[in-house]
This record gives sequence, structure tokens and C-alpha cells, in this order.
Amino acid sequence: MKLLLVCSGGMSSSIVVKAIEKEAAKTGQVVTVKSVGSGEFAEELKNGWDIALVAPQVRHRVAFFQEAAAEYNVPVAVIPPQGYNPMGGAIILAEVKKILD
Amino acid sequence: MHKFFALLDKYLIPTMTKLSEQRHLRAVRDGIISTIPLIIVGSFFMILAFPPFPALAAAIKPYTGQILIPFRLTMGLMALYACHSIGYHLAKSYKLDGVSGGILAMAAFLLTSVPVTYPDKGMALLMENLGGGSMFVAIIMAIFAVEVLRFAKTRKLTIKMPDGVPESVAKSFEALIPAAVIIPAVWLVRDFVGFDIHHFVLELFQPLVLAGNTLAGILVPIVIITLLWATGIHGDSVVGSVARPVWLVLLDQNIAAAAAGQPIPNIAPEPFFQWFVWIGGSGASLGLVLLMLFSKAPYLKSMSRVTLLPGICNINEPVIFGVPIMLNPLLFLPFLLSPVAIAILTYFVMDIGLVNKPYILVPWTLPAPIGAYLATGGDWRAIVLVFVNIIIAAALYYPFLKAYERKLSREGMAGELEEELK
Repeated sequence: MKLLLVCSGGMSSSIVVKAIEKEAAKTGQVVTVKSVGSGEFAEELKNGWDIALVAPQVRHRVAFFQEAAAEYNVPVAVIPPQGYNPMGGAIILAEVKKILD
Repeated sequence: MHKFFALLDKYLIPTMTKLSEQRHLRAVRDGIISTIPLIIVGSFFMILAFPPFPALAAAIKPYTGQILIPFRLTMGLMALYACHSIGYHLAKSYKLDGVSGGILAMAAFLLTSVPVTYPDKGMALLMENLGGGSMFVAIIMAIFAVEVLRFAKTRKLTIKMPDGVPESVAKSFEALIPAAVIIPAVWLVRDFVGFDIHHFVLELFQPLVLAGNTLAGILVPIVIITLLWATGIHGDSVVGSVARPVWLVLLDQNIAAAAAGQPIPNIAPEPFFQWFVWIGGSGASLGLVLLMLFSKAPYLKSMSRVTLLPGICNINEPVIFGVPIMLNPLLFLPFLLSPVAIAILTYFVMDIGLVNKPYILVPWTLPAPIGAYLATGGDWRAIVLVFVNIIIAAALYYPFLKAYERKLSREGMAGELEEELK
């Protein structure tokens, strides 16, 4: 499963990337997670992702992200605020599962 | 308080986000952000040229001119770089060729300057017209050039190449007619009518730049940024797209004064906010995280351990969404009051000259005391001020954090949240 996270500059989402990886390792799931800033998002989509996860603080730009992701048929979801922290891996993975299943 | 958040959600958020998502402002934001690596590395040479240690500074003095060359050709030409990048991003947003947008923007911008002839050296462009002070000219010319490009494209005013011509060649011809409009247009206005675009734009935006450097000009963006973050929206990114050109002009004036050995004029370029107000991130939340380390609520204590390191690097989304501060009526007040209080203090401390005004841009993920020290050109008093500000912020958070702890334990929520996270 390949998850692409996007926030404003790619800084805070890199923290959440680690949280997701940790949770995945704990529950034995194989995931590839990467974080990018808004500016690199459209470029990165080319590399094939299963889902794009938008950080809650840039949720006002979700239409913009959706437009870019539609070209590659990548579904876009906003990360629930309570999952967007170093201990929120489980919340995010549950959300992803709900969307992709 | 919930009504208040609902009001923000209904009025402030849609207005501000619509503004920041406006196509041209977005291009300005993305364009300027692309130049930040050059500004950071370039202004680093300012520190090298004027090291904060007197003995070293004296030893380096004979070489100052050479050391400043990378600074002058990066930061000193900031508007030129930004112009290209803004043109690129704006063209991209219209699904036009980005590179064509970038070079047309640059040509339009360069044509607003008149070369000067030196008898024995040849012709020269004055660098002062290409630096941060000309940022607004760069923005206007980039928008003008790309709008002409778009007009030509939508009206099909392009030269069509036959099939089989490589795409890159065909694309460059698409910019031919727009270039034939843009270049003569700017040339006529500047060199024949003699209309000084730089002077005009400078006068036009002067009030905005002056206002940006007042106490009100500091507090307005702080309050709006904080209100946006209180509802979980990236306030800096939203407000920055509007305010950053002004901050850059203020920074440019400061750094030019520093390079010339004159007193620093402005308090309020972006490093002011970054190092003295947003300590630990927006809302000066490092003070809160430090208090949480000693919290009796297990949830807040474990949250503080994982948010401390990002907080020292000024990344506080984990705090805002984890504690949470977002939509939290108990923590909203100190989240707003702390940055306002320390901004007012810092403003007056710098105004009376107790701490140097900031003039160097350093990466925003540095710990605040280091960032403040470097941004002020190596003023140790800036470090003291940062620690005072952290203490003030923590003191303002303290009673509200206690109230939040009581609420958590009363509702047994602490344990519940803890469980959820395990």
C-alpha cells in the first residue's frame, strides 16, 4: 500500500509518516509512505500512489489537491485532526482502510 | 466559545482561504517560496562577512567585498529570481508552458530598468532595481506577461508548427506572439513615454510597507494567523501569501542597511515573527509543551514527550491537533494572548534598541534561540529575549492548562484518549 501525505511544506507530515510506519510495522502491514509539500504534490503523483492524504491544516486546499490527483485516479482524503500527531498512526491507517476497502 | 469558532468557520476562514487560494496570489506565494533557498544561503554570507565576534570581524574586514558577492548575486537579485518563478507558477496554473511564462515575465521585468553606460566598461543594469525592493514590480510584470501569454493562447494568437516538429520547439513558438506584444509594450511605456514603473510602484506600495512595520502591522497578521490555526487551518501559509512580499521588502531594506554599515531600519520582516513570536510554532506553543512535560494528566505528559522535539524545531501541528489546541475553548485564549503579548514586548525592546532588529533569514526549523541569534546578526541579547518570551508564553498558558487538566480528569477523557492511542 502506497500512501502519499501532503502538507504545506512537507515538514509536519514527515513526522506523521514516521507514526504511520511505526504503526504499520507493529500490525504487520507493508506500507510505503512519503510526505511532500503542496508545491511538489502534482509532480509526485506521477510516481503511482494508492491514496493521497491531506494534512488537516491545508484542508482548505483539498479541491486543488483533488484536481491534481484526479488525473492519476488517486483518491484524496483529509487526515482526521486527532490522527495528525506522532501517536496518531493507528487512526490514520484505520481511516485509509475504510476508504480503500 | 463554540459559537465563536462557528463564526470563524463561517466568515474568517472562507474569506482568508479564498484570498490565499486566489490564482495570482498563489503564484506569488509559490514563486517567492522557490527563491527561499537562495535567500537563506545568500544571507548566510552576510554572517560570514560580519561575524558576531569582534576579533574575527576585524580579521575578515579586508575581504568583506569578496565575501558579499554571493549574497549580492542571490538575495541582491531576489526580485529577478522571484519574477521568473512567479511567471512559471502562474503559467502552470493556467496549464500553459511554465518556462515560457517564466522567461516572458523576466523579460517584461528587465525591460522596466534602463541600462546605464560606463564609457570604459560597457553597459550595466543597476542591481538595486532587481533586488527585494523591486518585488512588487516583479510581481506586476510577471502577472502582466503571463496574462498576455494566456490571452494569446485562448484567442489562438499563436504560430502553429506543423506536426512532427518537436514539442519543445513548438512550445517556444507559442510564446513568440506574446513576446512580440510584451517587449514593445514595456519598452514604449518605459523608454519612450518615460514612465518610471519602479518609482511609481514604489510610491504606490510605500504605505503598505510602512504600515507593515508598525505595531498594528505586526499584530494584525498575528491575530489572523492565530485565529486560523485555532480552527486548524495553516494560518502562516494563508496570511503569508498576502503579507510575504511586504516582509521581503522590509527584510531587503534591513539587509541593505547592514551591508552598508548603517543602522537597521525595520522591526517587522518575517524573522521577527519566526524567532521571537512563533517560538515552537504558531501560538508560541513551546511554552505549553514545556509545561506539559510536568503535567499530572498522563495523556498530556505522553503528548509532550513526542511533541517536544518537533516543537524545538518550530513544528507544532502535533501540538495543535494532538493536545488539541484546535477548537479547544480552554486553550484558545492563551494561544491567542501569548503571541500577542510577546510580540508587543519584542517590538518595544527592539524599538528602543535593546536587541538588534532582525535582518538575516535562516531556516525556520532551527531552535528559536539559535535562529534569533543568527537573524539579528549575532546579538546575544536576542537569545535572552527568546527565553523571556518562552517564560511569558508558559506563564500565560499555565492557568488554562491547569483548567484543561481538570476537565480531562473530570471527564475521564485522559484515560480514554490514552487507550485510543495505544
